[in-house]
Amino acid sequence: MKIVIIGASAAGISAAKTIKVSEPETEVVIISKEDSVHSRCMLHKFLGHQRDAKGISFIADDFFETAGITWLNNTTVISLDPDKKTVTTHDNQTISYDKLLIATGAAYFIPPIPGLRESKNVYGFRDLNDAKLLDRECQTAKNAVVIGAGLVGMDAAVALLERGLNVTVIEMTKDVMSLQLDHQAARAYQQLFEEAGAEFILEDKVVSVDVNDVGRGTTIHLASGKAVPADVIVIAAGVRPAFNFTQGSGIKTNHAILVGDDLKTNLKDIYAAGDVTGIAGIWPNAMKQGRVAAINMLGEKLLYEDRYALKNTVNFYGLTTLSLGNINPEPEENCEILIREDRHNYQKVVLKNGIVLGVIMQGDIGGTGFWQYLIKNKIDISGKNKDVFSLSFADFYDLDQQTGEYKYAV
Amino acid sequence: MKRIIIDREKCDGCLNCNIACISAHEEGSNFYTVNLQSPDAETRNFIKFDVGKGYLPIFCRHCDEPECVLSCMSGALEKDPVSGHVQYDENKCAACYMCVMNCPFGVLKPDKKNRTKVIKCDFCDDKPDGPSCVKACPKQAIVVKEVNL
Repeated sequence: MKIVIIGASAAGISAAKTIKVSEPETEVVIISKEDSVHSRCMLHKFLGHQRDAKGISFIADDFFETAGITWLNNTTVISLDPDKKTVTTHDNQTISYDKLLIATGAAYFIPPIPGLRESKNVYGFRDLNDAKLLDRECQTAKNAVVIGAGLVGMDAAVALLERGLNVTVIEMTKDVMSLQLDHQAARAYQQLFEEAGAEFILEDKVVSVDVNDVGRGTTIHLASGKAVPADVIVIAAGVRPAFNFTQGSGIKTNHAILVGDDLKTNLKDIYAAGDVTGIAGIWPNAMKQGRVAAINMLGEKLLYEDRYALKNTVNFYGLTTLSLGNINPEPEENCEILIREDRHNYQKVVLKNGIVLGVIMQGDIGGTGFWQYLIKNKIDISGKNKDVFSLSFADFYDLDQQTGEYKYAV
Repeated sequence: MKRIIIDREKCDGCLNCNIACISAHEEGSNFYTVNLQSPDAETRNFIKFDVGKGYLPIFCRHCDEPECVLSCMSGALEKDPVSGHVQYDENKCAACYMCVMNCPFGVLKPDKKNRTKVIKCDFCDDKPDGPSCVKACPKQAIVVKEVNL
């Protein structure tokens, strides 16, 4: 059997690994548009010059050779023929498959703001290629503007600060990382970034960009009337699943490739995993989806059930935060909000009828992994009769006598 | 694979396992000389107390399907195909702490000193005489056993 995987990031690599571990004789071909395998979560380490391209890889140097996987790099898939069971690449290769996994991820999005898309010095921060282009700009640029203060924007900002640029971050909402944090937790990071030299313009919007005669954006105009000078612009305003090449193939999409719980698409022998499915834009879930899709492609039956995606960790300047679930409930949701803080910690638990809906743990996040289990499984903790902040796995402790593994007693 | 099997009823919370773990990761120290006040003094195992249930040992299971490995974006955490143990490469780790978030049993933690690495059981590098916590337990509440996966 020949399995073709498009995409060599979390989902694609995790699928390839799973296939080769369970059925080494299966032929696996990975097609990727880049010539390296790297973790996009470490791009800021590359741009900040803390690691080189090899240092942000998440696989062993000899991964493809050892596993016996064919890797077609620098290769972009441009079309898919589900009847002939082939894909066609930009350089006119036709590659046949028995089973196909689409793990093409997502691509950044440049909002339609006058001057922004036209500017040659506007970059996303998604792939190593983006980071390399930014790296080149950093050699001459003085003023960097980051549009969007989500996790990706903050990653870009931390690297640009590391490189000694003047960094201005522009954000529409009133806080940085507003999907992961509340006002207080966000302020703590904002202060750390400001101490490192960053400037933040919050609750403001880019309305236009002045483009000079060589096509570079020079000044960013905001709704408030402010104007910010820019030598280099990073756009971090979100991503969109990337599946252009499937046009005309009859695959079902809705801003993402639609899959069932077995991660199969509506087309025969075609599966999808990772960001392209729109299920969850986060590394651990993409890895798990790659694994589940691989097992299903091999003919076993396994369902992807871990759809819980409202989770993240943040670590900037040594301040760590765990964020899970609904952390900024609206007043009409009638949630109970508990807060505990000291000099080093800010902790918030959102509860409703004994069920934990969300947590923020900022400061010491050691041993906080159990919270995700409680939230995604909607465990009722009202019977625990105990300070919620002192909960741990010990309150749900059970052991499987056969394997010695833990399980939850709930 | 070898796993530390827990008999929680035998545990009486002496914390010898904690001290043995800290000492095993402080080069050249032993039970009597280990510096518990050092910023590097971190235990990889925990004993919790519950009024109803008594002492509850929380030790890394080196799970069959390790959530920490699935969450690792740097390749620092890998399940060794031979030993079955989840190994951690500090040099690869980028300290994103998604593994801390993903461990359902709350075993993993960032290092206290710099928040640049993860503190995780390494099964004492699979030394032939076994993990130091097991050797230090006076009650045999933790013992190494071969388990079939």
